[in-house]
Amino acid sequence: MLQKLIPNVLQMKGEFVQATWETLYMTFGSAIIAAVLGLLLGVCLVITQPGGILEDGLTYSVLDKITNLLRSIPFIILLAVISPLTQFLIGTTVGTTASLVPLIVGIFPFYARQVQNALLDVDHGVIEAAQSMGSSPTEIIFRVYLREGLADILRVSIVTVISLIGLTTMAGAIGSGGLGDVAISIGYARFENDVTFVAMIIILILVFAVQIIGDLIVKAVEHNE
Amino acid sequence: MAEDISNVIDLQDIRVTFKNSGKDLKAVDDVNLKIKKGDIYGIIGYSGAGKSTLVRVINLLQQPSEGKVIVNGQDLRELKPVKLREARQKIGMIFQHFNLMKSRTVLGNVEYPLLGKKISKQERQEKALTLLKRVGLEEYANTYPQRLSGGQKQRVAIARALATEPEVLISDEATSALDPKTTKAILELLKKLNDELGLTIVLITHEMQVIKSICHNVAVMDEGRIIERGTVAKVFTDPQEKLTTDFVETSTNVKAAIDRITATINVEDLPDNQELVYFNFIGNATKQSILSELSQTYHVAENILFANIDQIDGENVGYMIAIIEGELVPFNKALEDLRPHGVKTQILSGVPVKGDEA
Ligand SMILES: Nc1ncnc2c1ncn2[C@@H]1O[C@H](COP(=O)(O)OP(=O)(O)OP(=O)(O)O)[C@@H](O)[C@H]1O
Ligand SMILES: [Mg+2]
Repeated sequence: MLQKLIPNVLQMKGEFVQATWETLYMTFGSAIIAAVLGLLLGVCLVITQPGGILEDGLTYSVLDKITNLLRSIPFIILLAVISPLTQFLIGTTVGTTASLVPLIVGIFPFYARQVQNALLDVDHGVIEAAQSMGSSPTEIIFRVYLREGLADILRVSIVTVISLIGLTTMAGAIGSGGLGDVAISIGYARFENDVTFVAMIIILILVFAVQIIGDLIVKAVEHNE
Repeated sequence: MAEDISNVIDLQDIRVTFKNSGKDLKAVDDVNLKIKKGDIYGIIGYSGAGKSTLVRVINLLQQPSEGKVIVNGQDLRELKPVKLREARQKIGMIFQHFNLMKSRTVLGNVEYPLLGKKISKQERQEKALTLLKRVGLEEYANTYPQRLSGGQKQRVAIARALATEPEVLISDEATSALDPKTTKAILELLKKLNDELGLTIVLITHEMQVIKSICHNVAVMDEGRIIERGTVAKVFTDPQEKLTTDFVETSTNVKAAIDRITATINVEDLPDNQELVYFNFIGNATKQSILSELSQTYHVAENILFANIDQIDGENVGYMIAIIEGELVPFNKALEDLRPHGVKTQILSGVPVKGDEA
C-alpha cells in the first residue's frame, strides 16, 4: 500500500529524518538568538519612543528605520546579500549552520516589531505607578514590561517561530538542507511528487505542534491573571 | 535649604507648558502651593484644569518647565536620578484606574515596591500582609486583581502605596471610578490613615462632596491657575469666585433647587409684596429661630421651597430658599444686618443683590 503511494519516500527514510532534524535545528537555533536580539531591539524601541521611560528621539528614529529597512529586504535576496557576514561569522556560506545567519537577520526585526507592539499594550498607568514607586528603568523593564507583557510576548513568539519554519525552507537555496531542500531539490527537481508532498506534511505537523504547545504555554501563563 | 519643615510640600512658581502642534499650552501657570504635614489638601477643578499635571509635578513624574519643587525638605529638581527615586518612595500615589499589575497576585502587587529593598522574602511578604490587613483585604492575598471589585482594587493600590512608608499620599481622582458607597468607604480609609499615620494627603477631585467629606484645605484650579484657596469651611461658606460658587452650589444641591424653582415660578410675575430669597446660615446661626423671629417682628410670611443642612469640617451650614410675603423693605434691611452673624441672603427676584449673576 505505502509502497504504491509513496515509493520514493520509502527509499529515503534516512534523508527525511535528517532533514527534519536540520529544519528543527535551523528553526530553534536561529529562534534563540533572534529572540535575544529581537527582545533587546523591541525593548529599546519601546523605552526610547516618545513618551517612553527613557525617551530619546534620535535613538528611536535610528532603530526604527533600521528595523523597517531590514524587514523590507526579501528573504531570498537577503540570503545572497548577507553571505560576506556569514563567511566572517561561520567560516563558510553554505550548509545548515551557515543558514542560521540569514535566518536570524531575516527574522529578528520582525520579532522586534511584534515585541514592541506587545509591550505597548502594557497599560501605561501601570508603568507610571511603577515610576511613582521609585522603580528604575531597568526594574521597570524586567519587573513590569516583560512580566506584564509575557503572555503577549509568548503569543508573538509562536507566530515568529512559525514564520521561521517557513523561512528555513527557502534557505535550501544556499544548500542548508532541511525539509524545504528535500521538497525542492529532490521532490520537485526529480518529479518525485510524493517526496514533496510528505515534506510538506511534516512541515505542517511541525507548525501545528508549535501552535498547540505554544497555546498551552500561553494559557498556563494567563490562567493566573 | 530646608526652610520651613512644617510644609511637607512646597511648590514655588510652577509652570508646565506643553507644546501641542506648535501651540503652547500652559497646563500649569505660575502655581505656588504649600501643604502642611498631616493636612488633607483637596484640589478641585473641571476637566483639563491642570490638576493631574500639577500633582505629577510633586513627584516629578512631570518635569515643570519652571519652578522649584520641595518635598520633605528636599529640592527634587536638584537630585540625581538615584536620589530622586528614593525621594519618590516617600511620595505614594494612587490613581483613578488603580494601575495594579495583572500578572501579580494582590500580595505580589503590595510586595512590588519592596522588591529592591534589602529584606528577606519572608519579611517582605509579612510586611505586605500587614498592609493588606490594614486595608481589610488579607484574605485576598493570593487572588489576582482582575477578580476584585473597583473598591477592593483601590484598597490594594493604597496598601501598595503605603509599602514604602511614604510621608505624602497623592490621590488623583482615586474615587472617580467608584460608586458613592464605595467612594465613602475609600475616603474613610484615607481619613483613618491620615489620623493614624499622620499621612499628608493631596487629593484631586472634581466633586465638592469629596472635598467636603475629608479635606481640611482646598484649592480651586482653573486653566492652570489656583484661583481660590483656603480652609474648606471658609471656601464653602464664603466662595469668592464664580467657579467656586458653582462647585459649592452643585454639591449642596442649591444650584439644582434654584434652577428647578425658577423654572416653575416666574420670579418676574411675583406680586410687589413677594420676593424669592436664598438664605445661607453658617455655624450656630443655623437655628431656624432667626427667621421666625424676623417674620414675627416684620409681619412677613415665609413659604419654604427648599432647605438643606450640611456639616463642613464640623460646622453646620444650612441652605434655604423661600418666598417671603409682606413688608419687604424693612425685612430686607434686617437681613442685611444679620450678615455679620453668619446669615447670608441673596434675593433671587426683583433688585439684583451682590453676587447675583442671573
Ligand atoms: N503630556 C501632555 N502633553 C500635552 N498636553 C498635555 C499633556 N498632559 C496634559 N496635557 C494637557 O494639559 C491640560 C491639563 O491636563 P490635566 O490632565 O492636568 O487636567 P486635569 O485637571 O487633571 O483634568 P481631568 O479632570 O480630566 O483629569 C489639558 O489641556 C491636557 O490636554
Ligand atoms: Mg486628571
